[in-house]
Amino acid sequence: MPNDIETIPQLCETIDSFAEESGLEMSLTMSLNLAIEEAVVNVMEYAYPAGTKGEVDVQMSSNGQEIVFILSDSGVAFDPTKHKEADTTLSAEERSIGGLGIHLVRQIMDSISYQRTEGRNILTLKKKILTI
Amino acid sequence: MTFDIKEQNGGMAVTVSGRLDTPAAVKAQQEIAPILENADKEIVLDCTDLEYISSSGLRLFLTIRKEAASKGGKVIIEHINDEIKKVFMMTGFYNLFEIR
Repeated sequence: MPNDIETIPQLCETIDSFAEESGLEMSLTMSLNLAIEEAVVNVMEYAYPAGTKGEVDVQMSSNGQEIVFILSDSGVAFDPTKHKEADTTLSAEERSIGGLGIHLVRQIMDSISYQRTEGRNILTLKKKILTI
Repeated sequence: MTFDIKEQNGGMAVTVSGRLDTPAAVKAQQEIAPILENADKEIVLDCTDLEYISSSGLRLFLTIRKEAASKGGKVIIEHINDEIKKVFMMTGFYNLFEIR
C-alpha cells in the first residue's frame, strides 16, 4: 500500500476479511486492526520524509495458533521497538501527544521484532490465538 | 465519522459516531474547533455509536480534555462500548476523563 493514511480504511477491511477467514473473535479482530493501523501509520509518518512517496508492504498469515503480520518498507531505518514508551500514568496536563500508537502495539501484540535487511525495515508482529 | 455538536443546558452535547481512525481523526481536527472554543463549559461526549478509536482519535479527546482543563470546563464521556473501554484502559485514558 502507498504511504497515504487515506488507505487505512482499506487496510482495516483487509484485516477484517483475513480475521473472518481465520475464524477470529470480533474482539481480537478489533485489537489486531488497531495494532496494525498504529504500526503502519508509524511507518508512514517516520520512514518517509513528509511529502515523499513510498510504500508499506503488509503480509498476514495464520497457522491456526498464531497470527503473524510482517510490515516492510524501503524508507529510512526506523526501529519502533526502540521508540520511547508513553507514560500512561501521567495526568492529562502532563500527557504528551506522542508515543501512544507504539504503546498500543506493544499492549496488543505478544511479540514485536525489528530487522533492517537490504535497505528495508522489516517489522514482525505476532499474536497467539486462543484455541478452544 | 462525525462529531455532531449541539449547545445544551449551557454546555456542549457532542455525539461522536463511526470509526475514529487516523484519517478520520485528521479530518475531525477542524470539526472539534467549536468544542475547543466552548471548553470553559461542561462538554458531554456521547460515544454510543463510536465503533472504533485509534491513537489519533485519542489525541483529539486529549486535546479537548487539555483545553477544558486550561479554561475551567469539564469533559464527560458517556456510553463507550467494551472494546473502546479496553483501549481507554490500555492507554491510561480511563483515568483522565469522567466516564459514565
